[in-house]
Amino acid sequence: MAYLDINNVVKRYEEHTALDGVSMQVEQGVIYGLLGPNGAGKSTLIRIINRILAADKGTVTLNGKQMTDDDIAHIGYLPEERGLYKKMKVGDHIVYLGRLKGMTKADAVASMHWWLDRFDLKEWENKKVENLSKGMQQKVQFIGTVIHRPPLLIFDEPFSGFDPVNAEQLKVEILALRDQGSTILFSTHNMASVEEVCQQITLLNHAKVVLTGSVDEVKQQHKKNIIAVQTPDKIEANDALFKILPPDPVKKQDTRIKLAQGVNVRDAINWLNEHYRLTGFTEVLPSMNEIFIETVKSKNATEQ
Amino acid sequence: MNKLRLIIAREYMSIVGRKSFIFMTLGMPLLFILIMAVPIGLAYLNDKGSDTQQIAVIDETGRYAAALHSDDMYNFVAIKGDTVTNAREFYDKANGSLDAIIIIPRNVDSTGVVNIFSEGTITPALVSSVRNVLADTIQSAHLAAMGIPNLQEMVDKAHVDVDVRSIKWSEEGEQESSTDAAMGLGLMLSIITYMFVLMYGAMIMNSVIEEKTNRIVEVVVSSCRPFQLMLGKIIGVGLVGLTQMAIWIVLLAIVGTVAGSAFGIGNVSPDAISPEALAQAKDMGAMESIVRQTLSINYLPIVLNFIIYFIGGYLLYSSLFAGLGSAVDQPSDSSQFTTPVILIMLIAFYAGMACMENPSGPTAVWCSIIPFTSPVVMMIRLPFGVPTWQLLLSIALLFGTALFITWLAARIYRRGILHYGKKASFSDLFKWMK
Repeated sequence: MAYLDINNVVKRYEEHTALDGVSMQVEQGVIYGLLGPNGAGKSTLIRIINRILAADKGTVTLNGKQMTDDDIAHIGYLPEERGLYKKMKVGDHIVYLGRLKGMTKADAVASMHWWLDRFDLKEWENKKVENLSKGMQQKVQFIGTVIHRPPLLIFDEPFSGFDPVNAEQLKVEILALRDQGSTILFSTHNMASVEEVCQQITLLNHAKVVLTGSVDEVKQQHKKNIIAVQTPDKIEANDALFKILPPDPVKKQDTRIKLAQGVNVRDAINWLNEHYRLTGFTEVLPSMNEIFIETVKSKNATEQ
Repeated sequence: MNKLRLIIAREYMSIVGRKSFIFMTLGMPLLFILIMAVPIGLAYLNDKGSDTQQIAVIDETGRYAAALHSDDMYNFVAIKGDTVTNAREFYDKANGSLDAIIIIPRNVDSTGVVNIFSEGTITPALVSSVRNVLADTIQSAHLAAMGIPNLQEMVDKAHVDVDVRSIKWSEEGEQESSTDAAMGLGLMLSIITYMFVLMYGAMIMNSVIEEKTNRIVEVVVSSCRPFQLMLGKIIGVGLVGLTQMAIWIVLLAIVGTVAGSAFGIGNVSPDAISPEALAQAKDMGAMESIVRQTLSINYLPIVLNFIIYFIGGYLLYSSLFAGLGSAVDQPSDSSQFTTPVILIMLIAFYAGMACMENPSGPTAVWCSIIPFTSPVVMMIRLPFGVPTWQLLLSIALLFGTALFITWLAARIYRRGILHYGKKASFSDLFKWMK
């Protein structure tokens, strides 16, 4: 039984269907990427898990039990549309968010101090939020999301608004939370960050799941049997085994070959090794970005 | 429940802690005092500052000019009527040293017409003072001319001011209930309700919009129900209002005590009874009567009902404002939704004013039962006494409607707070209610 189990969830609005029978299983302790183009239904699904919206059909279970309003105490949610009360003091604000999630005051204050210390924001505790830089506000926002140590964390575009240094720090924190046992649902457009942190993904498009699985599996499924070969020689095409592809614009020195149908990598490499001076080779796996674009485009094409 | 308390506390502190709240709370009474004091002060300065006007009185009868006494403002100079044939020439010859000429014609006794000429402005104060003095003098002259002894005294005796006292038979016996005091009280209560609902309704709306523009709202509703957030705001802002009122009442009490001891009303010695003092004494009598009436009003039920209507009316309108506020992104977009609400409030206010003359008339009765107008109109009616069945029906309807509107507003709010971008229309609101 998955930790977070979303089963056949349907959500309809007056004009359109936001989720059309979406199912998704998130195992405990993983970072799970929820991907999809704008308007695919990610935010609606996340809001249903957070019980901000109610599903028309389907169930959401957490740890084997049907979710209730009390379960939101176990979730930390960083929405894409996020902000803070500008006039509140940093410390008070974090404590307020923690107490709203059900912490006692003493507990929330202690946790707030720990986190402010960790993010080097200690001297800002009694400053108003509006006096902080945007990056610092984002950190306060993050602390407000995790202060109650929730077992399930949901981040919607967490890196937007962060500079690379802060984004790196945030990534480290997210990985640390995962290592402490938190389950993390991660919604983003940023495919590079998906490859870095996610183990599992689900891709939504037009209210439906179009792709799901572990990042490695998905990459294997979508690989194009392309090998980048490093050799000082000029490789001639061999139609029985492979075609020569135009070089990758970034790695021009590599020769890219695409294997013919039914040819396995070993045979091709053996043949190449006999005829050329190979210095190295790598199988080219598609990036998540390519898979994302390809899947979304092909689905859209078949629907039209 | 615990979350609701947290939300209320935050909302309350966020407003009360602001400098603008302290400024508003202390500034409003000052503003009121200024509004009242400035015209009086200016009028005083206006009188003080102007030079004494030179006014020639051409009295063709030769009998009345002496009645016009000079004072700081006007210096009356009597001129024999037959010495001046042309008033205009006389005025021009004075070469600007005269401000006006009053001509009392020979036939003033029969026509009662007196003319004032001037090149400048003739002030209403001059006209009314001349009118009053001459009317009294001419009337006395007429009475004297009739040759009846002591006629003046007889006329004075015959003059009666009728003081109508209304006495209400109630369970507690006879009570002097008076319309003046009741009207004043009713008006005050309805204005308080009206102002409070409008001011704090707008405050709630701004608070809702602010959370939307801040983008904090989704963070908060992931920790509590949208309804809790809305209700917390309504209660929090309501408490702010009550705090503000309490401060004003305390200030009023302090100012009243200080002013009372500073301008203590001294006793008037019997020798000093001049006509003005008599007139003042008459006013005092009227005041006394109003005070007596004011004290005779049975306050307990009025205060209780005021509180009930106040809560009901506030809940009704503030949840409307909260629901509507959730549908817009920026305060500047809110007017399309607030205009109808403010219109309804204005209708309620005018209905209240209209009902003052006849607090038991059909308009008054209906408007005090219809929930949207009842919180204001019932305040006007309360001091005059309202039949119990009307009161109960009105309260039941008000609270029923207030709860229904709160429920509807919560449905709009739930959707509205997550709605960004395209401006919502009224038809969107209706869809969200479903």
